[in-house]
Amino acid sequence: MTAMADTSLTSVERKRSRPLNIGAILLGALTVICAAIWFFPVFWALSTSLKTDDEAVRRGIGLLPEAPTLDGYLYVIRNSDLPFWYLNSTITSVAVTVIAVFMAACAGYAISQLRFPGRTLLWWTILASFMVPVQALIVNHFIIMASVKLLNTHLGIILPMLITPVTVIVYKQFFDSLPREFREAAVMDGANEFQLLFRVFLPMNWGITTALAIITFIGAWNSFLWPFLAAQNEKMMTVTVGITAVQDTFGVAYARLMAGAVLAGLPVALAYIIFQRRVTQAITLSAGIKG
Amino acid sequence: MLKSRRNEMLVAAVLVAPFVFIYGWMFVYPTLQMVQLSFTNAPLIGPGKWIGLDNYKRLFGDRVFGTAVWNTTYFVLLTVIPGTAVALGIALMVSRLNGWFQSLILSAFFLPFVLPITVVYLIWDWLLNLQFGIAQYIIGPIMGKPMNVWRTIPWFMPGVAIITIWWTNGFSILLFLAGLRNIPKELYEAAALDGATRWQVFTRITWPLIWPVTVLCLTIQLILQLKIFDQVYLFSLGGRTAATMVMVQYIFEQAFQKNSGGYAATVAVALFVIVIAFSVFQYQVLRIRGAR
Amino acid sequence: MPHVELKNVTKRYGNVEVINGLSLAVEEGSFTALLGPSGCGKSTLLRMIAGLEEITQGQCFIAGTEVTDVPPAQRGAAMVFQNYALYPHLTVRQNIAFSLSIAGASREVQNKRVGEVARMLRLDELLDRRPAQLSGGQRQRVAIGRALVREPKVFLFDEPLSNLDAMLRVQMRLELAKLHQSLKTTMIYVTHDQVEAMTLADRIVVLDKGIISQVGTPLELYNKPANKFVAAFIGSPAMNFFKAEIAGRDGEAYSLNLPGGRTAKIVSRGGTVPAAASVDVGVRPEHLKLGPAGAANSHFDGKVSIVEQLGNSTLLYVDTPAGQLIVEGEGNLKIAVGDTVGLSLDPAASHLFGTDEKVI
Repeated sequence: MTAMADTSLTSVERKRSRPLNIGAILLGALTVICAAIWFFPVFWALSTSLKTDDEAVRRGIGLLPEAPTLDGYLYVIRNSDLPFWYLNSTITSVAVTVIAVFMAACAGYAISQLRFPGRTLLWWTILASFMVPVQALIVNHFIIMASVKLLNTHLGIILPMLITPVTVIVYKQFFDSLPREFREAAVMDGANEFQLLFRVFLPMNWGITTALAIITFIGAWNSFLWPFLAAQNEKMMTVTVGITAVQDTFGVAYARLMAGAVLAGLPVALAYIIFQRRVTQAITLSAGIKG
Repeated sequence: MLKSRRNEMLVAAVLVAPFVFIYGWMFVYPTLQMVQLSFTNAPLIGPGKWIGLDNYKRLFGDRVFGTAVWNTTYFVLLTVIPGTAVALGIALMVSRLNGWFQSLILSAFFLPFVLPITVVYLIWDWLLNLQFGIAQYIIGPIMGKPMNVWRTIPWFMPGVAIITIWWTNGFSILLFLAGLRNIPKELYEAAALDGATRWQVFTRITWPLIWPVTVLCLTIQLILQLKIFDQVYLFSLGGRTAATMVMVQYIFEQAFQKNSGGYAATVAVALFVIVIAFSVFQYQVLRIRGAR
Repeated sequence: MPHVELKNVTKRYGNVEVINGLSLAVEEGSFTALLGPSGCGKSTLLRMIAGLEEITQGQCFIAGTEVTDVPPAQRGAAMVFQNYALYPHLTVRQNIAFSLSIAGASREVQNKRVGEVARMLRLDELLDRRPAQLSGGQRQRVAIGRALVREPKVFLFDEPLSNLDAMLRVQMRLELAKLHQSLKTTMIYVTHDQVEAMTLADRIVVLDKGIISQVGTPLELYNKPANKFVAAFIGSPAMNFFKAEIAGRDGEAYSLNLPGGRTAKIVSRGGTVPAAASVDVGVRPEHLKLGPAGAANSHFDGKVSIVEQLGNSTLLYVDTPAGQLIVEGEGNLKIAVGDTVGLSLDPAASHLFGTDEKVI
């Protein structure tokens, strides 16, 4: 009878009523082990980056560096164009984020709230660009950028990365979801369309804009193929491209290589850790799931 | 009222202008140009002659293109279903946890997703390093001797696939978690009252209700992985790329290494058609889901 | 001269006509309620006055000026919405000051005006909170404050109390009445709740399917409904209706053959009907008098099927030859289910409706 009563409890209730459930503990332990294995490569890169180059290639498994040192980091910063790459990555990613999000907010607002000729066509173009593989356009992006002499410039890197249809789609759906009374109240209060967008609709939920901005920033920072093609000049490379392009110049110096990798991933990793909730929100929104 | 209608159109024009300009220049124009280019024998930069369907005829007889299509398909098979299954498993485990502990564990699974591919490449290249890589302590005993995964052709694609799953799985995990959270608690409580076992709860409640999210993950992954390039390119650096070629890589090689823009555009059109076909399929699936 | 006037307005959505050639005049300083069931076009009418809906045909005037094509903000009308539509990202102060800020008023002017409005509505303590931190009643007051700050010529309310619970609704009703007394501004109030309309308004416009059914003071509508729709819509519990046949006429009064064989004399409002015509008789529950069954002066005998004790009154559902009639009696009535009672009509308070549903 007790056994039957036990199986009839939900997992939630079971946790509450019997905190020492063997199955739950085993599952919990398994989860922790899996998470540790999953995270290990990142941990190992961090650990290696704090070792000396000698210690990094020593036989045996030294999980933590014996004497943590920042030598690898200092070497990379001093002996590569990493400061330039950082600057390039920052300029291009911030520009892509600001322009793409601003553009998407304006376009999403117009498509959602205003009636104008070509509205349906525009919406279908956006849905189409959502389906199309932008990678297939690299050849033509390259030709266009070469013809207007924008290769090896920030603008040349930025322009093709501004195609972020998901941002427009998320904005349109957000504006669609707002009760029409907000719009009407603001209209009664004398607001015009621009004031409606920038003083009512966008500020009403900065969370969405923040989420989209962060995911756009991460995406821009991480893009590889186009910046790799557009910036042939080493001084114009982004971090993401740069750290592999100069792999050989570091020689067999794995601590330095890992220090470079850590530095390249740091801004996006930090952006995720700080804005975890927003990143989650952006991903569920872009997949069309109510989180 | 006519005045306000015209005003509305004017506002709309101002609001969509930057977007239309960028999309026209960076999406519509390149797409049309790509199709046009695919009928010429143009080099990467410079004019070419109209050669009709020659590029397309060449495409069907192209062995390397065949390899690229096969490798892309193989890669999709290796990543999409296994990756989604792993993500569901992880999401089920993580969803049992609560509070800060849950977000900590989730971060461990999700963090790789936000890293640049080159960082992922450097990390795994170091882990699997033939001489000093820590993973060789596992590979060595299994294979009998240390192995250079990236120079062993049969292991190349599975290797890239595993790393890709490690890298991109956070996305699917989040979707599954959101889906699991959307299942009403009352259903579990009702099932518990009916005396269902943990396995029955999963097969009768969780699985059917999470199925739409599963379809969503599968189709998103499918379309994402069809466009594979970065990982394959990076790990094959210095190797025999012809054997491990994937479709985007072939576009890249034809355009930027063989300097034949026209033929590269043809390959791009082929990729376009394939991805659009799958996207339309995805769109239909999502629409069916939305209609329910 | 009317303060707000609609002349022959028509509203069409595509081919669907919601309002057809309606004219309405609202006096300055009056509190007018637009009352009707959902879908009768009352909200559309209000939104046309506000300028939120285009007028397909016809004209709209506010304070003597034609505003048919004037943008909403410049009509001198302010609106309070059903769900308040407070901007969630702004504090109460910013919500109230929003229209001033849009109009480019200086910080000092904004603060001064917000201060005045806040004092009037007792919002002083809440000015730095956000809407999410307010109770339903407080939100309602902020929404009114937002309208008030614009010093409008006319206030428009779109079912402003329907999101509140019953207790608060009564309280807010009193506050609205007080507000109107102190401001004396024209107010137009849309509601489907006849109690709200009866208690607040000095004039009620009853709408039915896009046309005005009747306009009048609350008591006019209650005591002298112009048609069967108004008679049925106003009053709770609703008016009883049954069919009867005209037997003869005596000045203003008609004698009727009632179902069940007895006759009654009912005073008409001067209309004429042919003899032997069938009419609808309407009588409110409180105008049916209870007596012993079979009494000489009773018009129906019936069996009580349900008894509802409300304390201050008792509602009886009585099955009679004329169908089930609701009777309102005293609070401590000693009548049980199954009892047989006699009912008599009050001849001066009963209504006759012709086949066109208009009062006779």
